[in-house]
Amino acid sequence: MLTCDEYLTPATLADAFAAMAAHRGRYRIVAGATDTLPWAREGRAGDVHIPVLIDVAKIPELNERHVDERRVRLGAATAIQRFLDDAALARALPALPRCAVWFADDQIRAQATIGGNIVNASPAADVNPCLIAHEAVVEIVSASGKRTLPLHDFLLGPGKTALKEGELLTAIECDALPGYGGSFEKVGHRRSLVISLACLAFSVRLDADGRVIEDARIGLAGVCPVPVRLRSVEGFLRGKKLSEELLEEAADMPLDLVQSRTRQEYRRDILRGFMMRGLITAAKRAGADPAVLSSELEAAYV
Amino acid sequence: MSDLAFSAIVNGRKISRTAKPSQRLLDFIRDDLNLTGNKEGCGAGECGTCSVFVDGVLMKSCLLPVAKVQGARIDTIESLAKTGELSVLQKAFHKAGASQCGYCIPGMVMAATAALRINPFADREEIKERLGGNICRCTGYQKIFDAVELARDVQNGHLPVTMLDGIDAEQGDYIGKNVSRIDAPSKVSGRLKYAGDMLMPDMLHVHVLRSPHAHAKILSIDTSAAEAMEGVEGVITCADVPGEDGFGVFVHDQPVMARDKVRYVGEAVAAVAAEDPVLARQAAAAIKVVYEPLPALFNAEDALKPGAPVIHDYAPDNVTKHIPIRVGDVEKGFAESDLVIEEHYDTQAIEHAYLEPEAGLAYVDHDGVVVVISPSQNITHHRHMLAKIIAKPIAKVRFIMSPVGGGFGGKEDMIYQGMLALLAMKTGRPVRLVFTREESIASTAKRHPSKTTLRMGFMRDGRIRAVAFKMISDGGAYGLSTEGVMRKAAILGAGPYVIPNLQMDTIGVYTNNTPSGAFRSFGALQTQFATETHLDIACERLGLDPFEIRRINMMRDGATTHTKQKLKSVSIGRVLDAAEKASGWEKGVSGQRYGRGDLGGEGLRPAVALGARFAADTKQEAAE
Repeated sequence: MLTCDEYLTPATLADAFAAMAAHRGRYRIVAGATDTLPWAREGRAGDVHIPVLIDVAKIPELNERHVDERRVRLGAATAIQRFLDDAALARALPALPRCAVWFADDQIRAQATIGGNIVNASPAADVNPCLIAHEAVVEIVSASGKRTLPLHDFLLGPGKTALKEGELLTAIECDALPGYGGSFEKVGHRRSLVISLACLAFSVRLDADGRVIEDARIGLAGVCPVPVRLRSVEGFLRGKKLSEELLEEAADMPLDLVQSRTRQEYRRDILRGFMMRGLITAAKRAGADPAVLSSELEAAYV
Repeated sequence: MSDLAFSAIVNGRKISRTAKPSQRLLDFIRDDLNLTGNKEGCGAGECGTCSVFVDGVLMKSCLLPVAKVQGARIDTIESLAKTGELSVLQKAFHKAGASQCGYCIPGMVMAATAALRINPFADREEIKERLGGNICRCTGYQKIFDAVELARDVQNGHLPVTMLDGIDAEQGDYIGKNVSRIDAPSKVSGRLKYAGDMLMPDMLHVHVLRSPHAHAKILSIDTSAAEAMEGVEGVITCADVPGEDGFGVFVHDQPVMARDKVRYVGEAVAAVAAEDPVLARQAAAAIKVVYEPLPALFNAEDALKPGAPVIHDYAPDNVTKHIPIRVGDVEKGFAESDLVIEEHYDTQAIEHAYLEPEAGLAYVDHDGVVVVISPSQNITHHRHMLAKIIAKPIAKVRFIMSPVGGGFGGKEDMIYQGMLALLAMKTGRPVRLVFTREESIASTAKRHPSKTTLRMGFMRDGRIRAVAFKMISDGGAYGLSTEGVMRKAAILGAGPYVIPNLQMDTIGVYTNNTPSGAFRSFGALQTQFATETHLDIACERLGLDPFEIRRINMMRDGATTHTKQKLKSVSIGRVLDAAEKASGWEKGVSGQRYGRGDLGGEGLRPAVALGARFAADTKQEAAE
């Protein structure tokens, strides 16, 4: 059970920093709170008393949303559900709606925030592989200033980030990839409300004929301490003609990445299947020439 | 602690109250506003029994600090219809028989309401997905989906409103006749009070201190710090039991709270009654118990080894119950057989996972009668046991069965009712205990894990000649229903087949695992899993159709079972015919045919429609 003496809901960033300074060493920041409450239960942290909880979900800067053809800027308190109900976001971040539909359930998505998913720094956090494939940069603000860090430098390991005392993650900026086909592959114990054993995000752009891979972005999580961008696979695919052989060769490339403590063989097996299925569906959504991706191939993997 | 000045619009009424900063929205609506329609099933956002609308958006109120919804519009299950009336969806849930134990139903109705508000034309796949955050244990969901589809069609004018009317009285009495559930309106509206929803004036809240050890001697229990806390009205340990301290369905081997030693992780050691649940929890944490860990047993085979640690003094071999049955001469039977097959079958512990965690109230009435209200599946037996435990005549003990929010056998054991009675007697005030989900899983019975060695001898034509069946079951730390489960396993395990030579042994064993107990099918599942799988294996070896081998061996009218019961009529023949027809069975030897045309090709099932809303890119809902 989580108990506190005070639950503060600052309306501005300045109020939040003032509260953080006043309660230094005695507070914890919450946004959606969907992980904090279950965390303070038996089997995880048990009964926890935190003198001051500072809820930043309603601060305007953390709720910004700006999308254009090149860049996306999202406040850290943006709810995961927005990737499903905001068409502009879905177009600019094609893998994220596919990720969101697999994320918790409708009700938790309405409350859980993208910033919360990032700062938790779970190796299995679902939004991170999507965002690193978009070259995401996080904006970190403190009472004395602002700094930015690439997301892959911000995530240091399970539960560890580069966030320092007195700092808040306020926003995420990343590439907009309109015109890309997106897909997201994830496996856990069941359909809803489950932590990923492994998850992969794909964004693929093809030429006008749907035959040549012009760009591919692939993020992987759940099998290593921090999410990774599969740059070698991306480089291998870029500029090549889409074919069954090409995808199979690509799918075999990242198998040595699996570092999980458990079920390594299983994770390697699913990783290969996910690579095939993710690439096929992302390419299809990017407008692949139906003659290139045979229906047999699709039947085998999708 | 600084209290919050909290205001909101709840079910259309403006309210302003003082709230505690740690309170969740769920606590506030249930405890402060006494709106108990929405339930707490897990407290961790997994089950959806607490789903409410916050500014029109469905959310899980167990994950919402109340301060987060300051000034919001909150709508609970109570908002959907006026008292005595039902919404279209609630009527559809009633009509479709979608409420069984009813505990998940208020949350489920809320989720269904949200689904049809977001998309009044949602198809079944989308309904499934939108209800994905809500768990039901009883129905298997089909009736719930039927109900939502019925409501959708009525709302959209595709079906007449009369489709929601009660089930017409059908003529005659027969199995399969539709009957209207008289408790459904109270369940779909959230008005039914489960034990955890009940309040009594001056009521105290109970928290139980549980063992962190699987097997340990209790050297001392010091409750003085807990008792000294202001607002703590009573602390009990085994020393407070006035009578014969033992309960169980067959053998009374379990004390109300651990006596001298603990035998599993989660066993009750002491209990506190205090003015509020948080204080009770803090007081329990202040009780000091000194343990001396003992070697523990975590599987039944180890427990049977000579020299294994002894868990109960009365059972030095750690055997809770051994049921041996002998018919004919199995060794002779195997010698006569054309084919002998031996295999091993394991099954694991299973949690009942009812949506309602255990809860109960107790009080001592004006006549000195100790009254316990709880969702007990066995109140008469509990009453007799409790009378002995508290050393009172039976007339001074009363049990009231509250609505059971799912049982499946898991609420047959008197795990907590004894503590409630003792605390009511000690404090002189009504007391209430509501388990957390974690507590429920840690402390209550599971299905018996089993290890079976099965040897069967067959004649070439498929007739069973001999069966040697030995199942060792992990009964956990206490007896509970183990004896009954072993008996039923021995009676039913060999199946409805004629077996001339049979050697059946079912053995329940004490270990330091969570106790095993009653669970629907009661020993038949474990044993029949072995027997029926074995018959399928035999079919492959003998070249027989699986239905055929069962027909060859089935008992017929007038048969005598291996426990000497004469059966006037045996229905397995008709059951096999019906199953064969209904399943569209293609005759042949099992294991030698691969792939089914209707499942998407050779060896494949069609993929589950995950993320149904993205099934077709062209109608991507995000674009709406």
